[in-house]
Amino acid sequence: MTLLRELLQALRRMLETIGAVVLFLARMLAYTPAALARFGLVVQQVYNAGTLSLVIIMLCGLFVGMVLALQGFDLLQRFGAEESLGTAAALGILKELGPVVTALLFSGRAGTALASEIGLMRATDQLAAMQMMAVDPVRRVCVPRFLGGVIAMPLLAAIFSGIGIFGAQLVGVQLMGVDAGQFWSQMRTSVEVDDVMEGLIKSSVFGVACSLIAVYEGFHSQPTAEGVGRATTRTVVISAVVTLILDYMLTALLL
Amino acid sequence: MAPNAHAAPDADGVAGSEDIVAVRDVHYATSGREIFKGLDIRIRRRLVTAIMGPSGTGKTTLLRLITGQVEPNRGSIVVDGQDLGRLNRTQLYALRRRMGMLFQNGALLTDFDVFENVAFPLREHTDLPESLIRHIVLTKLHAVGLRGAATLMPAELSGGMARRVALARAIVMDPKILIYDEPFAGLDPISMGVIVRLVRHMNDALGITSIVVSHDVRAISILADQTYLLSEGTVVAAGSPQELRTSPAEVVRQFMDGLADGPVPFHYPAPDYQAQLLSREGRR
Repeated sequence: MTLLRELLQALRRMLETIGAVVLFLARMLAYTPAALARFGLVVQQVYNAGTLSLVIIMLCGLFVGMVLALQGFDLLQRFGAEESLGTAAALGILKELGPVVTALLFSGRAGTALASEIGLMRATDQLAAMQMMAVDPVRRVCVPRFLGGVIAMPLLAAIFSGIGIFGAQLVGVQLMGVDAGQFWSQMRTSVEVDDVMEGLIKSSVFGVACSLIAVYEGFHSQPTAEGVGRATTRTVVISAVVTLILDYMLTALLL
Repeated sequence: MAPNAHAAPDADGVAGSEDIVAVRDVHYATSGREIFKGLDIRIRRRLVTAIMGPSGTGKTTLLRLITGQVEPNRGSIVVDGQDLGRLNRTQLYALRRRMGMLFQNGALLTDFDVFENVAFPLREHTDLPESLIRHIVLTKLHAVGLRGAATLMPAELSGGMARRVALARAIVMDPKILIYDEPFAGLDPISMGVIVRLVRHMNDALGITSIVVSHDVRAISILADQTYLLSEGTVVAAGSPQELRTSPAEVVRQFMDGLADGPVPFHYPAPDYQAQLLSREGRR
């Protein structure tokens, strides 16, 4: 009975948190038109969340593509279908690895930066000072950062996918000796606009989820060093779990 | 001097026109602890009012109540004729535009330099041209003696300088009420003298009302026109600093003379000392 009661309490807490997150999102969406009117603030956050994450995204994209090509070549060779490597790599990266790995990297780099920045602003009374200046911190701090993340994520995923395919070509064509013509032509004939759109939809949804989690956790962190640390950790963990759950749901929906 | 002598509400319960803030019978508890038990305070226009009291008596909480950051469990708070309990978010924010607050640590925005920190409220609330914003910001920075520090970042400022920048930011929208939370804490004597002079000067020159939370008896004696001493969740003494200094009340004497023990006990409530020492139960 105690276990059941604790489970019910945990479920209730989870539902309360989900409700609070949804209300927070609604509040941010209500402020979005006003935030877009000051687009300079959003551009600055696209730079913080996107441009500053470029190096890690590009590096990881390259190696993910290279590994995928190695594994794919080994597998396809068993069936004598190594010329399909381009298709396999492109579909794997565009539809799955690009959006998912980008979201995981985004939450680790930009998400933690967002959560800790907003958490520290709370701990040092900067958010309270804004409220006292009659400036709603949700409008001034959270919304531009949220929109910055939402815009940056699909762009980062696109760059990740492009570099990933280049990495797959590097290993498949240059190292393993797959015919370059076969590699690119198979990819062109097999990969359709819908496949690219699937990746775009996924990365956009992940962008909303990861940015929302980071901003929510930072804004609601305890105003202590431990509280900020906990918010940062929760951002990474929750973002990773939510990304993978959403990935399954979107894949099932879009297939 | 009777406790709450200056705090008793009018018979009709309406604050006089001289009162810009009226705190009436406020009860407030948080985390299971009762902070205020029927607090009554009146703050008169254009005066410097000090809120004093030992640490943990809820001085900063009182400021949070007056500024609408938290709501009382019972009682009412009227600021500039508006009952905070009846205001929605938009109305509260409109009221806050008439208030300025100086936080204990300055609470400067760390991404912006000094100039942009002071310009922040103007950029958020007005469409003034850049030339006029520059003029206003430099005027306010000049008033606090930091026009030359306009390009510095908050991390490059001393504690006293940060508070002066925060003061410039607090007055940039020409507020009616200026609230200071422990403005003298951790300052060297020179910086403290500067802040005391600035608080008085701003109050008199701009014709505003100042509310200063502090436990610095010396600074308040120089600065304040009226003083409230809080303890145990209520006002235990009120009057001018001179009246408080000559008060025979034991709790006032303990605070003004800095006595370690008295009505505010030195020891936090604990079980019997000898019994606890002889007990084998860990820390308890």
